[in-house]
Amino acid sequence: MDIIKILENTISAFFGIDAAYFALAAIGLNIQFGYTGLLNFGQSAFMACGAYGLGMTSQYFGVGMWWGILIGLALVIILGLLVGIPTLRLRADYLAIVTIATAEIVRLVVRSVRFKEYFGGSDGINSFSSSFRDLSPFDPGAQYGVRPFQYSGYSLWTMIVGWSLVIIFSFLVYLLMKSPWGRVVKAIREDEDAVRSLGKNVFSYKMQSLILGGVVGMFSGMIFALDRGSVQPDNYSRDVTFYVLTALVLGGVARVSGSVVGPMMFWGIYVFSDNFLRELTKDRPFEIFGIGIIQKSQVGPVNYMLIGLGLMLLMTFRPQGVFGSKEEMALDGR
Amino acid sequence: MDAERTYTELAQRARAALASVNASPGVAKPDPILLAENVRRNFGGVTAVDVQHLEVQRGSITALIGPNGAGKTTLFNLLTGFDTPDTGEWMFDSKNLKKVVAHKTASLGMVRTFQLTKSLTKLSVIENMKLGATHQMGEKWWNGLLPFRYRKQEAMIERRADELLKRFKLDHMRDQYAGTLSGGQRKLLEMARALMTNPRLVMLDEPMAGVNPALKQSLNEHIRGLRDDGMTVLFVEHDMDMVHDISDWVVVMAEGRIIAEGTPEQISANPAVIEAYLGTHQGKSLLEEENA
Amino acid sequence: MTEIDNSKTRCFAVARAFAVVLGVLFVLSAPGVASAADSENSIIVSVQNQENINGVSEKKPVTGVKVSVANLSGVAIGEGVTDSGGIATIAVPAKDDYVITLDVASLPSGVTLVEGTKTVVNIAKDAFTTNTKRVTFFAGSVGESGASLFDRIAQRLVDGIRLGLIIAICSVGLSLIFGTTGLTNFAHGEMVTFGGLIAFWFNVLLGIPLLIAAPLVIALGGVLGLAMNGIIFAKLRKRGIGLISQLVVSVGLSIMLRNMYLYQFGGRTRPLDDFSLQVAKSFGPVSITMRDLTTAIISLVVLLGVAAFLQRSRTGKAIRAVSDNPSLASSTGIDTQKIIRVVWFAGGALAAMGGVFRGLDEQVGFEMGSGLIFLMFAGITLGGLGSAYGALIGGFFVGLLVELASLVVPAELKNAPALLILIIVLVVRPQGILGRKQRVG
Repeated sequence: MDIIKILENTISAFFGIDAAYFALAAIGLNIQFGYTGLLNFGQSAFMACGAYGLGMTSQYFGVGMWWGILIGLALVIILGLLVGIPTLRLRADYLAIVTIATAEIVRLVVRSVRFKEYFGGSDGINSFSSSFRDLSPFDPGAQYGVRPFQYSGYSLWTMIVGWSLVIIFSFLVYLLMKSPWGRVVKAIREDEDAVRSLGKNVFSYKMQSLILGGVVGMFSGMIFALDRGSVQPDNYSRDVTFYVLTALVLGGVARVSGSVVGPMMFWGIYVFSDNFLRELTKDRPFEIFGIGIIQKSQVGPVNYMLIGLGLMLLMTFRPQGVFGSKEEMALDGR
Repeated sequence: MDAERTYTELAQRARAALASVNASPGVAKPDPILLAENVRRNFGGVTAVDVQHLEVQRGSITALIGPNGAGKTTLFNLLTGFDTPDTGEWMFDSKNLKKVVAHKTASLGMVRTFQLTKSLTKLSVIENMKLGATHQMGEKWWNGLLPFRYRKQEAMIERRADELLKRFKLDHMRDQYAGTLSGGQRKLLEMARALMTNPRLVMLDEPMAGVNPALKQSLNEHIRGLRDDGMTVLFVEHDMDMVHDISDWVVVMAEGRIIAEGTPEQISANPAVIEAYLGTHQGKSLLEEENA
Repeated sequence: MTEIDNSKTRCFAVARAFAVVLGVLFVLSAPGVASAADSENSIIVSVQNQENINGVSEKKPVTGVKVSVANLSGVAIGEGVTDSGGIATIAVPAKDDYVITLDVASLPSGVTLVEGTKTVVNIAKDAFTTNTKRVTFFAGSVGESGASLFDRIAQRLVDGIRLGLIIAICSVGLSLIFGTTGLTNFAHGEMVTFGGLIAFWFNVLLGIPLLIAAPLVIALGGVLGLAMNGIIFAKLRKRGIGLISQLVVSVGLSIMLRNMYLYQFGGRTRPLDDFSLQVAKSFGPVSITMRDLTTAIISLVVLLGVAAFLQRSRTGKAIRAVSDNPSLASSTGIDTQKIIRVVWFAGGALAAMGGVFRGLDEQVGFEMGSGLIFLMFAGITLGGLGSAYGALIGGFFVGLLVELASLVVPAELKNAPALLILIIVLVVRPQGILGRKQRVG
């Protein structure tokens, strides 16, 4: 078993682009779910808004990347209103149901043959990152860094941009949550009626939280698409939101540090587990008492199973995650 | 009892105005801050509230009493927009409140507390208080990102909050999570927090429920203090001692309707009221009062 | 709230959870379905001919078509010829970007690809969500021609009734679980899939005829429901863990189960052995197979039976009481915990039944139930969360609407109207048709 390779991959996963875009999605989800108590199960749809906003502009309108951000923003706001107006006055469960349905529909629409000319169907959009590439000071072909942190110029650029965005948004969310706005939103999470009785428009705050969280999620989708160089509909499935949620809970909801460290840990653990299991089953299936439990092809599902199990155990035994505080856990009671 | 107390000028005026009012249900008041007409609410066949006419005198402390299930809290919910009546019109300070939602009524100056205290346990006491302040710039998200925009106002709010906490003797718990407070302290906190909104009408839903008897007297003082500061107080209570002690006017509800109104003395002598309470603990204390 | 915060007890509980999972894996590995096939990455190319018979679109496999796979540099990886099912499986060394080419010249005479279909398809590495990537080429004419509007509506109506009945069966449990415990069970779709997969195991792997296996499958579905409640949710309720947290736990459960199914069953869909090859019979403008007709009739009977049970029987009345108002119900002496167990058993059994029917209709796969869960949610929201009759009515209508909508909406998007229903209901009448009006903010 190549332990060195496993460890190298694990360490670089902590700081990799996957952790970065997950962190952005988690920061957004934290605003909505961690701080305000909104069960947004459709963060992947907001991510798709960002990715497709970017992809569509350069592919179909031939304009620069910055327009992509504006279009993505418009899409996020429309989506947020569409999802929020019916549900934010009702129980938390309704938002969960509607957002998960919306995320699935968004995926189906961008994947569809019918709208292929706009969204590229199941092939997606594949060539839009040139203006982004041009901004990079690094030579895309060259390799930088030392083992285990060795990246191509392009990857390094997206990583730096990605992590910079993480730092910027972490700071902004930190400011926001320390402000009176953050206070209202945290109070809403615990008891809406109390906040209403003090004259605050609870619906409006929830909508703001939903959309702000969606905007950060939008950037997550953009970074992901830029790194991969393509926008593919199947990357924005509802499961993505759940994995981000798991990463967030792991790190600690309602904690800025949690939304950054959680995804890093999530990816480190995931990559470690994935690599480890693959090495384990490289030549022959993993057996207990002579019966093959894990085949090479089953490593993926087994890993995701562990994620699902992990989420269940976290919510049951340590819902505050690594960085959260027990006293601040106000998730129940609805 | 009454003779020992001195009333502020505002309080005296309110009491004087009520002195001229006839003790009958639904009677008009000289200067009503709250006026409700034909408010009805049905719950699956049961009429919870059926109030033909109700007026609350400005600047007074009015008690709303009645046996359990009389519809008092439901009436609160209807008047403040936390529930929608089937029919009815009501006005707050000449402003029609029909179809006005809960948070709007609160921002108009009509604040309420809840039977089951809603102190926000995951926030600190001072944070609870600061939440109550209105027109906060920092509550807009774009200002939230720029601390310098709200810092000054926040400091002012914090000063006001500290003053109120001191008045309610909660200042020493200022930085603790509200969840660590006792039941009675939480009630005080909810009241103090409501005051941060600068209300004109304070509606308290069972402020004495679950409060340590030692705290009850100071709670009474606080409520009187509200009236002395010019606010109108409407409160629901079962504790007859308190009702007698501090209220200027009493409204009695039973089975959703108002069956009697009057000063505390008039009410305790009212046969309809005694009958409504007959057999209950509350009824006994009224009878004892009568025979005293 | 009893907080068993003792670290030792917690570690023990976590260790127990892992042991359970490992044990289940161990058991599941024994007759490994996935180990037989899908042991490597592959691309599955399917060529299907869409024909229109009386307005019904039917897919017929196209045999003998040459397809080839190359990598992005043009190096040939493999090639194949479609078999009697219209399928060619080409093994590829890894999940990567590939180019798939269909040799138009090898199409049988009289068969042409749908206008506008590319004969060269690119797939990206990320398109491999499992070990296989399926690419389908459609031949025939686009859209439906040759059938009158009335005929098409009638056919859709029939399809809608079938789908509606299945959704109704699957969602009764979901609604009742919500009503009695307040939990929105996101793992309910996996309970449907469970029915389909176990039926496959009995029918295809063990060779037991479906008529005998089906009752067993349904009973096992009920057992799954009991297990989910007993092992997980009852314990969570006892610990005082709130409803939102329980909801998130059900999400984790859904992920875990879905991947367990994938692990065991593989990524492809497969048909059941019995009743899989059917000829559609025509009844006037409408065509339906005997199998589907039978399952529809059985579904209807079961639904009516469930409705009668809830209305007449003592347990049924108790269920409705608890679902309506749990605290009031328990104060009248009803054993709410027992009712909850009954509800989970019934919900699981009905979901499994739905899974069997669905498997007969659409083939069995690891995701067969997960796709249905949106429609179930739409159904119970329409009917009223917590109301059993609401689930029946709402689920039925959602199925009907979805099929009818496919007249105007492209088939791949036919679930989208369900979302529209959801949103409209929540705006206009959030409590649904039969639900209780809740205080709205």
